[in-house]
Amino acid sequence: MKKILLHLCTAGAVLLASLVTATAADSKLVVAMLPKSKGNAYFISCKVGADKAAKELGIQLLFDGPTDSNAAKQNEIVENWITLGVDVIAVAAENKEGISTALRKAQKAGIKVLTFDADAMTDARSFFVNQATPEGIGQGLMDEAARLTNSEGEFAMIVASLTASNQREWQQHIEARLKEKYPKMKLVAVRPCDDLKDKAQSEATALLSANPKLKLIMAICSPGVPGAAEAVKQAGLTGKVKVMGLGLPNENKRYVHAGVTDSIILWNTGDLGYLAIYAGVALAKDELKQGAKTFKAGSLGTFTIAGDNILLGKPFIFNKANIDQFDF
Amino acid sequence: MKRSFRELSVLGALAAVLVGMAIFAPAFFSPQPLLSLLTREAPTLVVACGMACVIITRQIDISVGSMFSVCSVCAGLLAARGWPLLLVLPASVALGALLGAVNGLLVAGLRLPSIVVTLATMVTLRQGLNLVRQGEFVNLPDRIQWFGLSQMAGQLVLVGASVAFLVALALAMRHVAGGRFVYAVGTDAEAARLAGIRPQRVTFLVFVFIGALTGLAAMMNLAQSPQVQPLSGAGLELKVIAAVVVGGVAISGGRGNLWGAFAGLLLLACVSPALIHLHIEAYWEKAIQGAIILLAVVADGLRTRKLNR
Repeated sequence: MKKILLHLCTAGAVLLASLVTATAADSKLVVAMLPKSKGNAYFISCKVGADKAAKELGIQLLFDGPTDSNAAKQNEIVENWITLGVDVIAVAAENKEGISTALRKAQKAGIKVLTFDADAMTDARSFFVNQATPEGIGQGLMDEAARLTNSEGEFAMIVASLTASNQREWQQHIEARLKEKYPKMKLVAVRPCDDLKDKAQSEATALLSANPKLKLIMAICSPGVPGAAEAVKQAGLTGKVKVMGLGLPNENKRYVHAGVTDSIILWNTGDLGYLAIYAGVALAKDELKQGAKTFKAGSLGTFTIAGDNILLGKPFIFNKANIDQFDF
Repeated sequence: MKRSFRELSVLGALAAVLVGMAIFAPAFFSPQPLLSLLTREAPTLVVACGMACVIITRQIDISVGSMFSVCSVCAGLLAARGWPLLLVLPASVALGALLGAVNGLLVAGLRLPSIVVTLATMVTLRQGLNLVRQGEFVNLPDRIQWFGLSQMAGQLVLVGASVAFLVALALAMRHVAGGRFVYAVGTDAEAARLAGIRPQRVTFLVFVFIGALTGLAAMMNLAQSPQVQPLSGAGLELKVIAAVVVGGVAISGGRGNLWGAFAGLLLLACVSPALIHLHIEAYWEKAIQGAIILLAVVADGLRTRKLNR
């Protein structure tokens, strides 16, 4: 009896799924977007761009994710989407290995899979929409620092730790760019802040008093930027010593408006969501294939593809003029 | 003289560092940056005072960093909701005391080892906070920074208050019965009990005390910047335990005082700005701090052996 019931249920589910697929195929392409966490302001700002792309392309966008960053919940949502029979799944993976099994299953079911923001295993998706390469970040930071100081004078760096691999990599690209393009600039100190805003503030205070000729502080970990800005403000050096770095708009707004911090560098999250949706739809329509070198995404123009990574390109600079348009 | 040998040796080391800085990097003593750096250490000093009491009782509390974060975020959220400073401050202290009471109940009531209990509360509070806040900063209203005073006045208030607190507590530890009880329990709980002290009650109260001080310190830190990072206070436990141990408080309880802890804190806090002023690479910072702690522990070990002989 139980077995029959089970069979009936399965049949029902399959029927339902095929029905949904059928209706979806009849009307609109369905693209499902899975952020790490749906309440997170960062991903909400990705969704703004995704919504715009969906509207332009005339597709249906599903946006769902765990309420907190929960890898198991992500799998559950993908399973549901497989049953539902969506056309494309775009994922920001919370756990690289964890999500990949579910994504492979989706691929087997004929769903096109791509990742954005945080990649899964390479065989579990077709493309990764890569928001920033270490080289792009390093060069973007150094170029902006040079612009703010007219390419000359002393500057100091605040990093999360001296050993974290991403920090080391960015730092190497920054120093390479410095050596190559800005001979009149000098990096006088690199200080770790252990990802603590308070420690960054103490370190920056000491840096300012020990290096009276300092023209700029660059922080390459997000709590470091407001920490350094508070130190510069308290030392009464607003405007005299520039502050910039890699960070989040909301944590830095008040310092940017007060003229303490000049620029925050990150990627444009709206563009990231927009590009992910365009790429997903192109995949579903078979317009985007492995081996392509470039990809054109609506009003944003053409993007470079490196291997199976679609590159969002140069980092985005948040400053007084545009920072209020971003809420994350 | 002989009794305060450890404290004096730390003070000597601190003096040597300061003289060295005066010779090689006099800019270290520019008044404004120095006041700023001292202000940054004021909250740490208050927690270090509490930690000294806990360690003298032959206990330890490694949950202070997490309690600090929880108090900071809660106080920040209350302030952001428009609570006046006069209510936020006692709320933060009360919350700290409450969290400390949980530690105290588990340690004194159930006689569990304090390192395990506070390890558990440290992890629970930290992860709970991560879950709720997801790392998001709390933005504070402008009136909170420097308690609405000017920056200079605010900094002087914070440094002055922390030093005044240190002096008062140091004197109390020596001259008030409650202070003597702390030493008695840490030296020999059984003997203290026979002398009419209730060791479990003293232990409980010491945990409540350090909790309340952590809540106070969180407020002192809150007043120094217009936003709170939920990670704020991470690693605080190591900083204050190191300061207390370097300052000559015996980890085996019963011995040491707050003056030593104060000198130990200043000595360790000097390392990072001193290296920055001497333009020495940051890699040395933790190595030097570690060496200072090791030296202090070895000195204690040698002394204990000598006393036992």
